[in-house]
Amino acid sequence: MKGSRYLLYIAVLIILLILPLYTGVYLLNVLDIILIYLALALSWDMLLRSGQISFGMAGLFGVGGYAAALIHLQAGVSPLLSIVLGGLTAGFLACLIGMAVLQLRGMYFAIVTLALAEIFRVIIRNFPDLTGGPEGTILPSAIFAGNSTKTYWLVLAVAVISVIGSEIFRKTRIHFALTSIRNDEIVAKSSGINVFKYMVFIFAVTSAIQGITGGAYAHIYGFVSPEGSFSLNFTLLPIAMTLLGGMHSTWGSVVGAVLLGVVSEFLKLQIPYGHLLVYGIIIVITILFFPQGIVGTIGQRLKKR
Amino acid sequence: MTILKTENLSRNFGGLAALDQVSTEFHENEILGIIGPNGAGKTTFINVIAGIYLPTQGRIFFDGQDITELPAHTRCRLGISRTFQLVRPLHGLNLLENIMVGSLFGKGLSQREARKKAEELCEFLGLSNMTRDITRMTALEIKKMEIAHAMATQPKLLFLDEVMAGLSSDETMEMIALVRKIHSRGMTIGIVEHVMRVIRELTHRVVVLDWGQVIAEGAYEQVSNDPRVITAYLGEES
Repeated sequence: MKGSRYLLYIAVLIILLILPLYTGVYLLNVLDIILIYLALALSWDMLLRSGQISFGMAGLFGVGGYAAALIHLQAGVSPLLSIVLGGLTAGFLACLIGMAVLQLRGMYFAIVTLALAEIFRVIIRNFPDLTGGPEGTILPSAIFAGNSTKTYWLVLAVAVISVIGSEIFRKTRIHFALTSIRNDEIVAKSSGINVFKYMVFIFAVTSAIQGITGGAYAHIYGFVSPEGSFSLNFTLLPIAMTLLGGMHSTWGSVVGAVLLGVVSEFLKLQIPYGHLLVYGIIIVITILFFPQGIVGTIGQRLKKR
Repeated sequence: MTILKTENLSRNFGGLAALDQVSTEFHENEILGIIGPNGAGKTTFINVIAGIYLPTQGRIFFDGQDITELPAHTRCRLGISRTFQLVRPLHGLNLLENIMVGSLFGKGLSQREARKKAEELCEFLGLSNMTRDITRMTALEIKKMEIAHAMATQPKLLFLDEVMAGLSSDETMEMIALVRKIHSRGMTIGIVEHVMRVIRELTHRVVVLDWGQVIAEGAYEQVSNDPRVITAYLGEES
């Protein structure tokens, strides 16, 4: 049973890997965007499993993007390595900030993360010598000289890393720690769980994923800017995707990202800028009528039988 | 042998002294009853010992070590465990997984070992159908699960905070037998209870708290005849 499931995963992965042979550039570009949002949605959900809501994804996404771009430009590090370093920068920064703010919970934590994203953006705007200031910085070329197949593989790798990360969070003792913390921190502490250590750890890991994603995004488009790299879209869309697909699971975020990603691409063509309205409606309907999301609701129905 | 010792332990909430200069001792392998009227500070006492609240004043020694400043999760790993007055099951984890949390983190076991330990505890406490969702459990079963969760950390000192509350008299009898069984595995038990029959049948010694102070200490028969204890429970004769 377990073996056949892994076979299925490998089959899906192979199909995804050889997909560029059969599709055009346009579809690959759409897939790139979907996979980037998928990684962000998963990272948001991974932190959510501890009960904390972050509105800071765009901030760490932007930090990762800027770090990757600047490390590449200033230190001449290869694009791929600079993406990894961008992720590590975001993770390290989150670790430091986490030690200061992770005593906060709930709404207070959420607001602090929202503010953090804005603070990063303002800081970057105000160091024009290093960051290019409000105009941003253009990289000499996009990664892989803009080769859409290789670019797709890169984004696929980022998405697969987050899926694996999320599954590790689901299958190991981390799952027990996060679920306990989400339920009741006093019970968690009384069971020997070092709550603060776990919170800093998951905040750092999820931020590193957001940083890597931002780094990849920066190198794909060869451009970073305060408005583009810290766009609120990178916070709001992933949240909508996870809510639609279902919280506290890997497949919820995956399903949500694919569905909403496809819908948004379609809507952009039909009603430019109207897609944001449709997202809003989808979120409202989801929360009102099936708060468990698609995957959660289906799972519950199956259990009841 | 003393396993736990408190010296002038106090805890204030604002102007209210929930614990006031409590100096007491737990002997190894005894069942100690902690009784007193509502609001006497019994649960606060457990919370301060377990590290949920830090004391305002005083010191706590456990197994010869000063644990006054240690965080709750470290105290759990040293061997202090407790159940909660109002049950606090972990949703999103099934019966067995709830229990596993205790040994995964309190004892640092692997998932496989923790599962085995949890299965053993389920059998020990008479919990069947171990992979059940916790929404499908009765009140008694949830209480047993919380005891198993606390026992999974393999404590030297186990606090049971009103585990009999809300149980029928048959269930209470079952629980009394169960506490005896748990005690026979070799641990010190601190039991907070309002049902006096439970205290009389189970405990070796009793500590009586009132307004955060120890007003009597000793065997149940002796304590229950103490005029100060009677006054605390029934009020002054006018």
